[in-house]
Amino acid sequence: MSEPLPLAPVTADPLVVHPLLEERRPDAQLGEALLRPVLTAPGMGWWALVGVCAALTVLLAVAITITFVTGVGTWGNNIPVAWAFGIINFVWWIGIGHAGTLISAILLLFGMKWRSSVNRMAEAMTLFALVCAALFPLLHLGRPWKFYYLVPYPSSLRMWPQFRSPLTWDVVAITTYLTVSVLFWYLGLLPDLATARDTAKQVWRRRVWGLLSLGWRGSARHWRHWRTGYLLLAGLATPLVVSVHTIVSFDFAVAQLPGWHSTVFPPYFVAGAIFSGLAMVLSLLIPARRALHLHAVVTQAHLDALARLLLVSGLFVAYGYVQEHFFGWYSGSPYEMHAMNILRTGPYAPAFWTVFACNVLVPQLFWSARLRTQPVVLWCAALLVNVGMWLERFIIIVSPLSEDFLPSSWRHYAPTWVDLSLLSGTVGLFGLGFLLFLRFLPPIPISEVKELQHELEASEAFAHDVSAREGGAR
Amino acid sequence: MSRWVLGEFRSPERMVEAARALRASGFLRLDAHTPYPVEDVDAVLGLPTSRLPLLALLAGVGGAVGAYVVQWFTQAVDWPLNVGGRPLHSGPAFIPITFESAVLAAAGSIFLGVIVACGLPRVTHPFLHLEAFRSASIDGFWLAVAVDGSEGVDAAEGALRQLGAAVVLAVEGRR
Repeated sequence: MSEPLPLAPVTADPLVVHPLLEERRPDAQLGEALLRPVLTAPGMGWWALVGVCAALTVLLAVAITITFVTGVGTWGNNIPVAWAFGIINFVWWIGIGHAGTLISAILLLFGMKWRSSVNRMAEAMTLFALVCAALFPLLHLGRPWKFYYLVPYPSSLRMWPQFRSPLTWDVVAITTYLTVSVLFWYLGLLPDLATARDTAKQVWRRRVWGLLSLGWRGSARHWRHWRTGYLLLAGLATPLVVSVHTIVSFDFAVAQLPGWHSTVFPPYFVAGAIFSGLAMVLSLLIPARRALHLHAVVTQAHLDALARLLLVSGLFVAYGYVQEHFFGWYSGSPYEMHAMNILRTGPYAPAFWTVFACNVLVPQLFWSARLRTQPVVLWCAALLVNVGMWLERFIIIVSPLSEDFLPSSWRHYAPTWVDLSLLSGTVGLFGLGFLLFLRFLPPIPISEVKELQHELEASEAFAHDVSAREGGAR
Repeated sequence: MSRWVLGEFRSPERMVEAARALRASGFLRLDAHTPYPVEDVDAVLGLPTSRLPLLALLAGVGGAVGAYVVQWFTQAVDWPLNVGGRPLHSGPAFIPITFESAVLAAAGSIFLGVIVACGLPRVTHPFLHLEAFRSASIDGFWLAVAVDGSEGVDAAEGALRQLGAAVVLAVEGRR
């Protein structure tokens, strides 16, 4: 007997129990396998999807041009429904972005090892979702070319932005969120860009990746600052996620309108954002995993973890619905009650019950461990949640506006083709961005997976050692 | 002109051991180049902890103060605008932008801090011209010993070989 045996049973080591990597490979092979999507020519499927997304992006460009040339009158919103698709899409897209930051930052802070295989794709999703989100506040300004009025610069008009207005809060929040997401993503990419540079055979690829990797050499000094900086950015991104969607919910909560003027909005919106974002991560990850043969690094354990998160955030969202309707009733105000009643029984009832089915009932599937690891079930559920979350923003925004205090001014809303083109166009832009990302940048964080593999090996060796010793002791 | 001797090891554990042995035998100007961060290497090389957190704190506080002052000055001093009788200096309404600006300033300074502290961006470096050194970002664990003169080169080469380096190379160039 030389060393004392550890007290806890070794099989409880979290790195051994969950198969986060399904096979062990030498580092060089592992790196090459993870770089294969960017080093080999894309298949027909990729080109077909790029074609569809590019066509939708052209549609987006057409819709934006029409909005700029003719004005926001081409949209379906008008008094009393002064806000509609512009804000719905904005809230939906920015919410989708949040799961990317959640996965990469919050799970990093909590030391969750499973994040390493999915964080790069989730972060890329965040970036493209934010680009789509940022379009809408600009477009709905009416005179979008004067967007710089929102920035406090000393103009000769002596005109300052109104900082008490949620519109300026939004601008600062989105700009900050987009900037921090880009920095976080790029900092995380640096070591992998160096790997890509050193693996590539063609000179032009080496040069492009060499420029992008900024001369990264993986020195101990580099890693020391890099790790500290990466962790700090994660620590900053975590409250940022919560604050950004809180500010988005203030757009509504600071208004006096029944159905909007509610203190439950900030947490309810944050939960909804993370819920919809997780759904989008799953919608993208599952096909990408299959198409790029990433089963060894994006294992069933990852799908299981994401499905659990989907279930938990779905329960938060369901709690939000209960709160909203309970306080609508409990307020005793006829206006508040009406705002909630028309959701359940009024003209918006079909949308409301679809939301209920997609966001409350569908996630309940994932109480079952077997369904959590069924990619097809997960994917369909994720798509339904995406639809449900879009419709949720639709009813939150449109229904209180269309039937507010004065019945004589009630009017319902219908989108125009420009509205619909903007929505589908941003879906195309988002998809195009994601497809190009999969093609040109390493979609799985290579250095992190190698580090994880090393840790797993050490952990397994330790477990093996101890079990051998225990066997000997007996 | 600076000179280095580089040695490649096949596993991080061996590299850390070699670094420890090199330091014990008097080679102090060491660096390691690895495909992923290796535990213990900072301690063995005697690197101090990064001071980026302090930079982030200062930048964050600066961003917050700056944003609050801009809002107070524009809304309450330079162009007071009475909206529904609300106070001109409306602190709670200034909080969202103050917070976001703190985060923005801190994040920007962290990113630039990492880049500057690592001596990036640089597109060329003597090491990057070596074909064998490409493994430093793939599966090789390299130790770099900075040396003076040709005796230093010989001594370092000998030491690295003795410690079991698979490849030993001497480089010179501008650091």
